[in-house]
Amino acid sequence: MVEQVSPLEPVWKPGSHGRILGGAGVTLTETRPGSIVQLAAWPGHEKAMMEAIRSATGLSLADGGGAGVAEATKAAFGFAPGKFLLADQAEGAGAALAGAVGIDIGVVTDLSHGRTAIRISGPKAEWVLAKFFAIDFSIPAFPVGSGLSTAHHDVFAQVQRTGADQFDLYVFRSFARSFWTALCHASEEVGYEVR
Amino acid sequence: MIINCPYCGPRDLVEFTYQGDGNRTRPQPASQDYPAWNAYIYDRLNPAGDHNEIWQHSGGCRSHLAVVRNTLTHEIKSVEFVRDHGHRKSDGHRKTGAAS
Amino acid sequence: MSSSRATAGGLIDRSKTVRFIFDGKPYAGLEGDTLASALLANGVSLMGRSFKYHRPRGVVTAGIDEPNALVTVLKGEVREANIPAPLLEIYDGLTAVSQNRFPSLGFDVGAVNQLGGKVISAGFYYKTFMGPVVGPLKGTRFWMFCEKFIRRAAGLGRVDYAPDPARYERMNAFADVLIVGSGPAGLAAAKAAADRGARVILADLDARFGGTAKWSDETIDGMSGADWADMMVRELSGRDTIRLLNRTTIWGYYDDNTIAALERVTDHKAVAGKGERRHRHWVIRPKKVVIATGAFERPLVFPGNDRPGVMLAAAAERYANEYGVLPGSNVALFTNNDGAYRSALALKKAGAEIAAIVDVRATISEAARALAAEAGGELLLGHAVTSTSGGKQVSGVSVQPFDLASRSVSGSSRSITADCVLMSGGWSPAIHLASQAGAKAIWNDELQAFLPPESRGRWVGAGAFTGTFSTTAAIAEGEAAGLAATGGEDTRSEPRLVVDGALDPRPAPVFEIKASGKAFVDYQLDVTADDVRLAHREGFVSVEHLKRYTTLGMGTDQGRTSNVPGLAIMAEAQGAPIPEVGTTRFRPPFAPVSLGSLAAERYADLKPERLTPMHDWHVEKGAIMYSAGLWYRPMIYGQPGETVEQAYVREAKAVREAVGMVDVSTLGKIMVQGPDAAEFLDRVYTNMFSTLAVNKARYGLMLRDDGVMMDDGTTWRLSETDFLMTTTTANAGKVMQHLEYFLDVVWPDMKVHLTSVTDEWAGTAVGGPKSRDVLAACVTGTAVDNATLPFMGIVKGEIAGVPVMICRLSFSGELAYEVYCGAGHGQHVWDAIRAAGKPFGIVPYGLEALGTLRIEKGHVTGAEIDGRTTARDLQLDGMLSKKKPFIGSAMMDREGLTDDNRIKLVGVISLDNRPLNGGAHIVEQLEPKEPNTSIGHITAVCYSPALGKYIGLALVKGGKKRHGQRAFTADPLRDRFGPVEIVSHHMFDPEGNRMHG
Repeated sequence: MVEQVSPLEPVWKPGSHGRILGGAGVTLTETRPGSIVQLAAWPGHEKAMMEAIRSATGLSLADGGGAGVAEATKAAFGFAPGKFLLADQAEGAGAALAGAVGIDIGVVTDLSHGRTAIRISGPKAEWVLAKFFAIDFSIPAFPVGSGLSTAHHDVFAQVQRTGADQFDLYVFRSFARSFWTALCHASEEVGYEVR
Repeated sequence: MIINCPYCGPRDLVEFTYQGDGNRTRPQPASQDYPAWNAYIYDRLNPAGDHNEIWQHSGGCRSHLAVVRNTLTHEIKSVEFVRDHGHRKSDGHRKTGAAS
Repeated sequence: MSSSRATAGGLIDRSKTVRFIFDGKPYAGLEGDTLASALLANGVSLMGRSFKYHRPRGVVTAGIDEPNALVTVLKGEVREANIPAPLLEIYDGLTAVSQNRFPSLGFDVGAVNQLGGKVISAGFYYKTFMGPVVGPLKGTRFWMFCEKFIRRAAGLGRVDYAPDPARYERMNAFADVLIVGSGPAGLAAAKAAADRGARVILADLDARFGGTAKWSDETIDGMSGADWADMMVRELSGRDTIRLLNRTTIWGYYDDNTIAALERVTDHKAVAGKGERRHRHWVIRPKKVVIATGAFERPLVFPGNDRPGVMLAAAAERYANEYGVLPGSNVALFTNNDGAYRSALALKKAGAEIAAIVDVRATISEAARALAAEAGGELLLGHAVTSTSGGKQVSGVSVQPFDLASRSVSGSSRSITADCVLMSGGWSPAIHLASQAGAKAIWNDELQAFLPPESRGRWVGAGAFTGTFSTTAAIAEGEAAGLAATGGEDTRSEPRLVVDGALDPRPAPVFEIKASGKAFVDYQLDVTADDVRLAHREGFVSVEHLKRYTTLGMGTDQGRTSNVPGLAIMAEAQGAPIPEVGTTRFRPPFAPVSLGSLAAERYADLKPERLTPMHDWHVEKGAIMYSAGLWYRPMIYGQPGETVEQAYVREAKAVREAVGMVDVSTLGKIMVQGPDAAEFLDRVYTNMFSTLAVNKARYGLMLRDDGVMMDDGTTWRLSETDFLMTTTTANAGKVMQHLEYFLDVVWPDMKVHLTSVTDEWAGTAVGGPKSRDVLAACVTGTAVDNATLPFMGIVKGEIAGVPVMICRLSFSGELAYEVYCGAGHGQHVWDAIRAAGKPFGIVPYGLEALGTLRIEKGHVTGAEIDGRTTARDLQLDGMLSKKKPFIGSAMMDREGLTDDNRIKLVGVISLDNRPLNGGAHIVEQLEPKEPNTSIGHITAVCYSPALGKYIGLALVKGGKKRHGQRAFTADPLRDRFGPVEIVSHHMFDPEGNRMHG
C-alpha cells in the first residue's frame, strides 16, 4: 500500500520550540491513524449503531451526547445526534464497519484521507486549546474519553479528550497545515515539542 | 450570546448561523399557491419580543435548532431540535444513544 | 520643581532604577513607577497640551480616568497614541512623547488659541466655517476647504503608517464567578467565592492587586491595607481553581454574561518573553459576575482648575502612598466632602506641608475636623477657590467666602500660596459595566451620584461601585457578593451608607464655583462650564445633544471625570433636577482596546488557508497562485518570459490539441447517503437523479426556493444508496447548509445523511484528444475504452498502486476525465498521470486556461450564477424537469423571472481585436460622453486560441434574439469602448462532438 502523504510535511519540525522553561508546556504530534470513519445512525437506531461499532471494533460507547472511549490504538466518540467518529491506527476499519452497519441502521463514511489527526498533550494543553475554541476544556466539563465538535473561525474541528491532559483533534485535511502553524504559534509562549 | 444546544450544551454565538424565521410554513412541494409561496419566502414577523427562530449549530453538531428568543432583551426562552419541534416530531430522536 | 520623591514609603522598589526617555530627555525612575509617578518624582508636572486651546496640562488622576496626561509611546517605527501616563508602567528604555504641542511642550505656538478667549467655544467650527449660500465655496464646500487646515491643529496624538510588528492573541475562559476589581470588596468576594470551591477569575486593570487598599493608609485586620491585599492575593494564588489576571481591563459586558477583557501582557516589559503576545483578548463566560470596580473621584469646576499642579485629592494620596511621590511640598485642598481630609493627612504624613483646606461647607463632621487638625494648615470652611495663579505650574489660589444655599461667592478675596492644589468634588461609582449590561443608572441624591441599576440576576455589586464607600462595609459587601454569586446564603444586612470612622461619604451638592475665567468640565476635550451653558442657551436640551454639540465626555477617557459635573451644570441651567436631564448609557469598550487584539491571530501568516494535496507541487513549478475563497489554486504555470495571456493560451491550446491536466481537488464534494438519497436528490436538483444508474454521473442544477439559480455540478451514483455530489468550489459550504436545512427542517423524515468529503478526495481532471491514451497508459484494473467508460460513466481501478475512481465528464468540451483518489495519495497519482502523459505532451494548466476552455464552450460558473440569474437566463431551460416538483419549481415560473426582457446568456466577440473587460457594460450605441442605457454586462473574458479572437460571455437583454447583432462594450472606468458581436454562448464545438468522441 502506498503511504499517505501528510499535509503537515513542510511545516512539521520535530524538536523543542518556543519558550521552554523546565519542560515543554505542550507536545504536538500527528497521530496518522490508518482509518478515520464517520458513522451516522438513523433516528431511533443510535443504540444499534453503537452495538455495531462494538462488534466491529470492540469499542463500547456509553449513552449521552459526546460520550466516547479512547484506547491505545483506537478511539470513538459521538459528535452530533446519532453521529460518531472512529479512529484506528490500523487501516481497514471503514470496510469492517461497512460490513457491520446495515443500511437499516445508518451509513458509514470513510474519512481516512479527509481528516488530519493532531494530538496536543501536556500541562498547558487546555491553555493552548482555549486560544482556539470557545469550549470549557476543564475535566468536569469535558471528561476523558468524551468528544465534541466545534470550530475555530472557518476550521471545523472534532476534539476528543484522550487523557487528563491529552486531546486529539480532527481537522479537515486542507486546513491542517494552517491549523498546525497556528497551533505552533499559540504554543510558543509555553514552549512546545513536536514529536 | 450563548445558545444551549440540546446535544452539545451551551455554546457561544460564534458557532451558530441564523437560518431564518421559524414561523414560516413551506407549502406542499407541488403547490402552485403563489401567495402561500410568497408568504413563505418573503413575509417575516419581526416582532418586538419573543420570536421563533431557526439557528443552525454550524460550528458544532450542525443540527438545526428551534429557538425562542426575545428580540428586545436577547434572552433565550427555549431551545430544541427543529426535528423534534411541533407537529414534525420524529420518533425517538434524542441525544446520542438515548433512543426509545 | 515642586513635586518630588518622598524620602520613604510607597510600594516602589527603591533599590532598582529604571531609565526612560520623555520628550527626548532621559530620566530615572524606580521599579514599580508609572510614567506619571516617575515624572512627578523628577519634578515634571507639565505632561501635555490641551486639545483646543493648547493649554499646559499636568496629570490630574492616578489611573484610567486620566484626561490630561496622555502620551504617545514609541516602539521602533510604531507610535501608539493616547496612553494615560498614570497607567503606563515604566521599563528600561521606555520612550514616550507628549502630545498636541508644537514645537515643544514648554513652548507651544498653538497656545495663541487661548488668547482669543471665547472664540473657540462650543460649536465654533460648525458656526464659523459654514460657507456662503452661493459661489464656489457654498455650503459645506467651504467647510471641506477649511477642514484640512483645522485637522492639522486638532486631534490628540498622531498615528503612523508603520505596520505593527506585535502579535496578539485571543483566549477563551469559563468560570463560576468573574470578579472585576481587586480592591477590598473584590478581594473579599474572591476569597468568599473561592472558599466555596467555585472557579474564580479575579481581574484588575492595574499591575498590582489591592485597589484602594494599596494606598488608602487604612488598617485592615490589624495590618496595613497593602499587606492585607498581599496576604489575600497569596491565599488565592495557591489554588488551581483561581485565575488572577492583573493588567487586565474588563471592557465589554455582553449578552449571557459574555465578558470581553484586554490583558496587557508585555507592555510593561523592556523585552517580551519568547512567544509572548503583546495583548491577550479574553472572552470570559462566567456564570455570575461580581462588579467591584470602585468609584472615580470628581474634580470641582472652578476657574484655573486645569493648571498643572491641580489634581484630585485621592490621586495625590495614591501617588504619596503607592509610589512614594509628593505631588507638591506645600499643598492646598479644595473640597465639598470629608474624603479630602484623609488625603490631606496622608500627604502630611508623607512629608508635605498643608497650606490650607478650603471647604464649601460651613460645617463638617467631627472626624473631618480632627483630621484637619492633625494635617495642620488653615481650615477655611464656607469658602471656595475662585482662581489659581501660576504659569505652567500652579503657584497659589484665590479664595472667597462661599454661600452654600445660593451657591455663590461674595466678600473679599485672599490669596494662598501653594505649589499643589488638590480637589475633591465627590465620587462617581464606576457603573460602566452594569450600564452596558443593560439598565439605566439610578441617581442618588444623598451621594450626589449615579448608582448601578438593578442587576436582573446576572451580576452582584460590591464596594464603592454600589455607593458603599467605607472599607469595612465594602469588605462585608464583597464577602456577601462572593457568597451570593456562588449560590451561598447571604445572612448579612444591607450594608450601604455605613459611615465608617465617622467620615461622612455625602458631599455637598456643589459642582461648580462661578467666577470669571475658564473653568473646565472636560479637560481632555477642553469643554468649559460656559460651553455647557452656551449649549443650553442654543437649545440643546437632551444630554445626548449636549454631548455631541460640546463633545463633553467624548474623548478617549469617555468623560470619567467630567460626565457628572457636566450634567449637573446642564441641570442647573435648565432648572431641572439631575435625574431629569438623564445620563447617557455606557457602551463598550470601557477603555480603548487595541485593534490587534481583536484581530488576534487571524491575519498575515496565521490567516487560515485551504491547500490541495498538490499545492506544494504547483508552487514548486512556479505557478502563480490565486486565492479562491480560502483556497489557493494555480492561475497559470508561467514559463520564463511568458505573459499571463501567453501562458494560459499555451495551456489551453495544449488541451485542445493534445492533453492537459488540472487540479480540481477544490470542488465541493458531499456524500449523500441513505435509502432516500435518490429521492432527496430529485427534490433538490431541477432534473431527475432517481433514474441514474449506478456508476453513472449526471450534471445537475440547484435552485433556491425563490426560483433563482443556486449552484451546478455533477453527482455520481456510487451505489443504490450512495451518491457523491460535487459543487462549485465557491459554493460548497453554502450548498451543504442548504441541503442540511431541507433535511433537518423541511423533510426530517427522510433517511439521508450528508457528509462533506471535499477533503477526502484529490481530483485531477485530464482533458484533451489524447486524454484516453494517457489514462490507458497508467490505469490498471479496468479498461478505459469508450465501451467500458462511456460519457458520464464511472469506473474504479488503480493508478501506480493507488485506488482511483474515474468519471468521464468534461468542463473543457474535450474528451476528458476526472480522476479521484484519497487526498493523501493525490500527489502520487498526479505524478503518475503526468509521467504517463509525457509521451503525449501533457501540460498542467491553471484556472485561466480552465476559464478559457469553458468560456469557449459557453459553460456557466459563479460569474454567471450570481444569485440573480435563473436557469432560463442561463439558457438551461432543458434542465428543468416537468415531471416532478423540486426546490424552486413553483417560484421559478413567476412573472418577474420569466420576463422576456431579462438579461440572458450570450457570447460576445471583440471586433476591434482588443481584450474585453469583465464587468463592462454592453450598450446598443456608443456615445462615450453620455453613456447609453446598458443592455447587459460581460461576465467573463479571455483570448480564445480556438477562435483566434478576444471573446467573452455576457448577460444581455433579449439573449438569443440578439445573436448576430453588433453592439458595443462600454467601460468608462477603465476607458475601454469598442464594437462587439453578440453570438451564441456555444462558441466552440456547439454540437459537443469532441467530448463525446
